[in-house]
Amino acid sequence: MRLGVTLTLGLGFAIRILAQPTPSRDLTQFSLEDLMSVQVTSVSKKEQKISKTGAAIFVITAEDIRRSGSTNIPDLLRIVPGVNVAQIDSNQWAVSIRGFNSAISNKVLVLIDGRSVYFNSFSGAFWDVIDVPPEDIERIEVIRGPGGTVWGANAMNGVINIITKHSKDTDGVLVTTGGGSKETAEGLAQYGGDIGSKGTYRIFGRYANVNNSAFSNGQRAADGWHEWHEGFRSDWNLSSRDTLMVEGDLLTSAAGGTTTATFLESPPRQADVNRRLTNIAGDVLGRWDHRLRNGAETSLQVYYNALRRDGQAGVNLSNDTVDVEFKHHLAAGARNDIVWGLDYRVAADDIRPAASYALRLNPPARTDHLFSAFVQDEIQLGRSVFLTLGSKFEHNGYTGFEYEPSAQLVWTATEQHTFWASTARAIRQPARTDFGAQFNVGVQPLPGGGTGLVTLFGNLDFTAEHVHDFEAGYRAQVNPRLSLDFTGFLTYYHELETTEPEAPFFAADQGLLVIPLKFGNLAHARSYGVEFFAHWNVTGRWKISPGYSLLQMAVKRDPSSQDPDIEQTSGNTPRHQFQIRSLFNLRRNLEWDSSLIYVSGLSHLAIPSYVRLDTRLGWWLGESVEFSIVGQNLLTPRHLEFFDTSGLVLHTEVERSVFGKITWRF
Amino acid sequence: MAPLLSLILLLGASVQLCAQAGNPEPAFDEYQVKAAFLYNFAKFVEWPAHTFAHPNDPIEICIVGQNPFGSALENMVQGKKVGDRSFTVQRLPDMQQAGKCQILFIGASEWKRTGALLDGVTRPGVLTVGEIDDFTALGGIIGFRLEGPRVRIRIDLQTAEQAKFRISSKLLSLAEIVKRSP
Repeated sequence: MRLGVTLTLGLGFAIRILAQPTPSRDLTQFSLEDLMSVQVTSVSKKEQKISKTGAAIFVITAEDIRRSGSTNIPDLLRIVPGVNVAQIDSNQWAVSIRGFNSAISNKVLVLIDGRSVYFNSFSGAFWDVIDVPPEDIERIEVIRGPGGTVWGANAMNGVINIITKHSKDTDGVLVTTGGGSKETAEGLAQYGGDIGSKGTYRIFGRYANVNNSAFSNGQRAADGWHEWHEGFRSDWNLSSRDTLMVEGDLLTSAAGGTTTATFLESPPRQADVNRRLTNIAGDVLGRWDHRLRNGAETSLQVYYNALRRDGQAGVNLSNDTVDVEFKHHLAAGARNDIVWGLDYRVAADDIRPAASYALRLNPPARTDHLFSAFVQDEIQLGRSVFLTLGSKFEHNGYTGFEYEPSAQLVWTATEQHTFWASTARAIRQPARTDFGAQFNVGVQPLPGGGTGLVTLFGNLDFTAEHVHDFEAGYRAQVNPRLSLDFTGFLTYYHELETTEPEAPFFAADQGLLVIPLKFGNLAHARSYGVEFFAHWNVTGRWKISPGYSLLQMAVKRDPSSQDPDIEQTSGNTPRHQFQIRSLFNLRRNLEWDSSLIYVSGLSHLAIPSYVRLDTRLGWWLGESVEFSIVGQNLLTPRHLEFFDTSGLVLHTEVERSVFGKITWRF
Repeated sequence: MAPLLSLILLLGASVQLCAQAGNPEPAFDEYQVKAAFLYNFAKFVEWPAHTFAHPNDPIEICIVGQNPFGSALENMVQGKKVGDRSFTVQRLPDMQQAGKCQILFIGASEWKRTGALLDGVTRPGVLTVGEIDDFTALGGIIGFRLEGPRVRIRIDLQTAEQAKFRISSKLLSLAEIVKRSP
């Protein structure tokens, strides 16, 4: 509360001192040259489109990214209200939207240029292989709330959409190099140019090396990592109506870390082991956009995604995915704007144990086919009232047919004020582990002496978790300098995953008592909350963006459930988060940017609340060279952000760090 | 205590620095500047013969879709003249009357149907001005584009010539000249 009061006072003070009217000189007296050189304050085109969207959306712009000084995507997402980002160790992050945070968060879909990087093997995104050079990101759109109608399964609580820059916007040479106390070395070399008169391209190579972090007792962990990432993007104007985009990446990384493993010895025992996680991640994507004579648009996208990931839960994982998607966007009559699409995805997954404590999957290899179709119609009901109705229909190899409908009503009361309300259903498709896991997760002393082995089993009857969501929002462009965004939501979750204790049995071959746990769908939850953010250009040179989110969640187990922990999992995500960013041009060539983030404690995980302060000083030498120095987590020597209850990633603390970087464009 | 303190410091320091820095470079609203550009286009563009019935007919500026200018455009051109011509500003409900416009502004709100709207401009003598990134690629004549905090313009000469315009070299020298792919 005191934080809020101080903030209000601080801002009030700032307004009085800094607010100054927009200059009102007669611009018709300006020459063309003058008009081209005046600085304008503007609401971006994306923001204009977004102001008419019937969903809770937040856009991280390229400018936000540059001025954040962040070198990884999870850190960039910390500024988004309603998103909880918690670093577990030096190379693992827990990232969730509106609750259910975990080391592999299974209710958030993550896309890079329309390519899903959510792996169904474990139901989630592996943030350590989601690497896009920050300089090449056009924007990141974060949609809070279900996105199943357009994006399909697993967009249950939201979608994170990373969109890279068109290659015409990255021509020339770009070299960055930097290093600091945590990230000891980082470098990017990129070249962009033309291919004939119709095409452009860029190629890049990036390297990063990150130090070990420290456990809470001060001891160094063995969780350092490094990565090499090469990639390209090429865009072609095939004709005035056809564009083609092709891009690809190859990322290799090696990371350390500690896992709490259960060893099948006599008696079984648990011990912390150092693990080595290696990744080879490759992808290639092509998209052909065609504009028809009548203004309609079609798009055909094909991608191939390959991941070889060794060391996660002691397994060697290999996943190959091919996805083909067609979309057609057309106007039907004067009042209907229709988008429909078809999608086919085939994913071949092979997960083999590579350590004695490894997770086992039955069957080890599996190929899944996903067929889906969606249609969405934006209907103009009145002059400024739009109703969007639609649904996804899909068929997956686990639960068969699924549907994900939604309705959104948008009322643009005036140019400056937009009200919206929506309701949706969305699902999470079962992971391979939900069906076929066999994983020794712990040991338990037996009443009569001896030690029992706790083993988690998959459940072939596991069904899709699903959600019903209701939300409403209001956006205002109060004046050219100030915009506000409010969202409130009420969400009901059904058939949530639980782990149910089963009757213990004696495994004769191993000579020990097994205490089985089995996945079930025996919990439900209700959550509600509010999210707020504002962008305020206090002066032409100073912009601040405050945000706040409240999440109130209650998870309840069904009467038939015996899961002892599930009701406490609502405490895996903070109830309150508050953030404020300040972007300040001290001089024409000197930028000072800060962000302050408050995250309330995680009751279930015994993580206390914390405050992060990050700050960046950027100095431009002419138009082409930028020096920046970034300090992160400046307030405390180190703090804890998350605790992975599965034991797969032993948590370390996030330390205070500094980082210097030179960016050179020519 | 630490968070409180840091917040006060953060804001306090910003306020102080800002106050010391004196008046920053004035920034205009984007649409005031774009309105001024529209007025300037009238000075640097020559409409095809027979566009106007009389030498003192006003130049009609039409806005399709939502009006991002508020009253800025009307206020700006009110009482102004280019040669003997004054200006009128009006919003178009649809494209049926687009042919009578001398300047047709298609705002970003119409991004979804910009291509279809431009296909509906069949008469020469309509200077189409837009602000989405691929406005000229979609068949528009002049596209606004933001480069950082500055407004830039992009002109498709081929489309301009097809619509029978002559554009002064002054304007062309300041614009990025693009060509639609064949």
